[in-house]
Amino acid sequence: MSPQPDTSTSSALRFDRVTKWYGSIVALLDVSFEVGCEVVGLVGKNGAGKSTLMKLAAGLLQPSQGTVRVGLHPAGTAAARADLGFCPDVERLYEQLTAVTFVAWMMRYHGYGRRDARARAAATLERLGLGEHMHRRIREYSKGMRQRVRLAQALAHEPRFVLLDEPMTGLDPVARAELAQTIRSLPMQGVGVLVSSHVLHELEAVVDRVVLVHQGRLLAQGRVGELRAQLPSQPHRLRIVGPRLRELAAMLVAWPQVAQVRVHDDSLEVSVVGEAGFYEALTRLGAGWDGGVHEVVPLDDDLASLFGYLVG
Amino acid sequence: MNAPRPLGFVATVVESARQTALRLRHNRVWTLVLIGAAALYGIAWLVGYQVGRRTTDNGVIVYCNLAWWLQATVVTPWLTLYLGVQALHGGLEDRTFQYLFLRPVSRVALLLGNWIAVSLVGAAVGGLGAVVLFVGMADNAELWPDGAEWGYAGAFAGACAIAATAYAAAAMAFSAWFRRPLVWAAFFVVGLQQVVANLPISAGLRSATITDPLRRFVLDAIEPTQRLANSLWPAEATFDLELIGSPLLDLGWFVFVALAIASWVYARTEYDARARD
Repeated sequence: MSPQPDTSTSSALRFDRVTKWYGSIVALLDVSFEVGCEVVGLVGKNGAGKSTLMKLAAGLLQPSQGTVRVGLHPAGTAAARADLGFCPDVERLYEQLTAVTFVAWMMRYHGYGRRDARARAAATLERLGLGEHMHRRIREYSKGMRQRVRLAQALAHEPRFVLLDEPMTGLDPVARAELAQTIRSLPMQGVGVLVSSHVLHELEAVVDRVVLVHQGRLLAQGRVGELRAQLPSQPHRLRIVGPRLRELAAMLVAWPQVAQVRVHDDSLEVSVVGEAGFYEALTRLGAGWDGGVHEVVPLDDDLASLFGYLVG
Repeated sequence: MNAPRPLGFVATVVESARQTALRLRHNRVWTLVLIGAAALYGIAWLVGYQVGRRTTDNGVIVYCNLAWWLQATVVTPWLTLYLGVQALHGGLEDRTFQYLFLRPVSRVALLLGNWIAVSLVGAAVGGLGAVVLFVGMADNAELWPDGAEWGYAGAFAGACAIAATAYAAAAMAFSAWFRRPLVWAAFFVVGLQQVVANLPISAGLRSATITDPLRRFVLDAIEPTQRLANSLWPAEATFDLELIGSPLLDLGWFVFVALAIASWVYARTEYDARARD
């Protein structure tokens, strides 16, 4: 009897112990992670290896060691490329063409007939908000419109996985919000997304998980909250708003979970070690003390803080 | 909408050729080409007029020299090499190749499509240039006492068309392999071919160029007088049709080898890694 395929990995975009050298430069070292039907954020400084990971998945580069698989297919094969959409961080497009012609040309290589390719291109551009402008030449487009064209060529053939390299770059806030909504909707259509961005707070809003890379190494992966909880050496910082702040600060410094209290004009900034015990104690205090606590806001539970703690 | 069917190799070549030809249509060089065509006509007319007044040379000698030394060895090679480099290397330079390499089609098919498109465009322009030269010269009736002999225009138009396919193949190889393909093209056209042109007729290296077999093709097609042959092939003092050999076979081998190298390099190179190396 033939062994059953491992469904947890066969339906995923999988990096398995991937190493990549550019000459003598190590771009990636022993990186392993998976992308299922979810949105995974790829986070790292410039030169950390984010784009290299994307290009390895797209088959534009070959790993020096390790393997990259798109579902069951090795990255770079025609079957893998058929299942992938890639929105590269490349400024240029076919400037003299209209957006609908450019996307239709790309769809022709996926095997669509001319009419189908054009219809598919038009429908995708319409969905991405370029319906009115799709018959204009790309050279006349703004940065945001060009980014949507790049996105359209990645999505129009309905791939199983989409790689988005810095898709927020150059977009205005409205367009970013629309793009975030589009990205969030993709897993509901059965599409796995690997997205990199420097705009960490916006990335955090769309991703299910993050993969942090630094100097070519995988630093951490998981949900932001879970990863933050795995950093016990870094006290959690909280902002507490309420009346009688000095009185409250005097009480808090006596608690074993509190490492530091700073008093500001309108709030306290509290550094906490052992978050769970602190919240229980704070709840009891709020119930029993007539001063009251109006608001407790975590200051460093976000992706940017996590990134800062991990890479310095 | 119908479900997509994987695009086969030949269909990919055809689609790539179509897209490349349409993209070349937008190239700025066409303004220059139009001006160049007018200039060719003017040059042919002026040269024909001057020669017709001063010498006893007839239109055949003047046209063949002009068509060979200007159209077949300068205009057609450089225009085709430029278009070829623009088509293939332009995409590598501005990184738009990434959009193509992501598709589930063969890179070799994409390259062959580029070659076909550049060959067709180069052949059309090169061939038309040869005809324009002839038209300019045919307007000087004193050069053609027996009437304009259009067969010569056909011979050079054909030679330019064949040259275009070979130079397009060279452009593909230079573009796929080198970061500065036009520099290498200049080395090939001005350096290697000029050196080889002065080698003895028996030198095997002659087959590694385009000019030499093309010259033999032209001489075979026009069946020149000894004087005309000497002016078209100065290295060979005594022209003999026995020396012609198999120019089309030589050119075919050249195209095959150039495309094989181009395909090998284009299919395997990590162009994204180049900037990091």
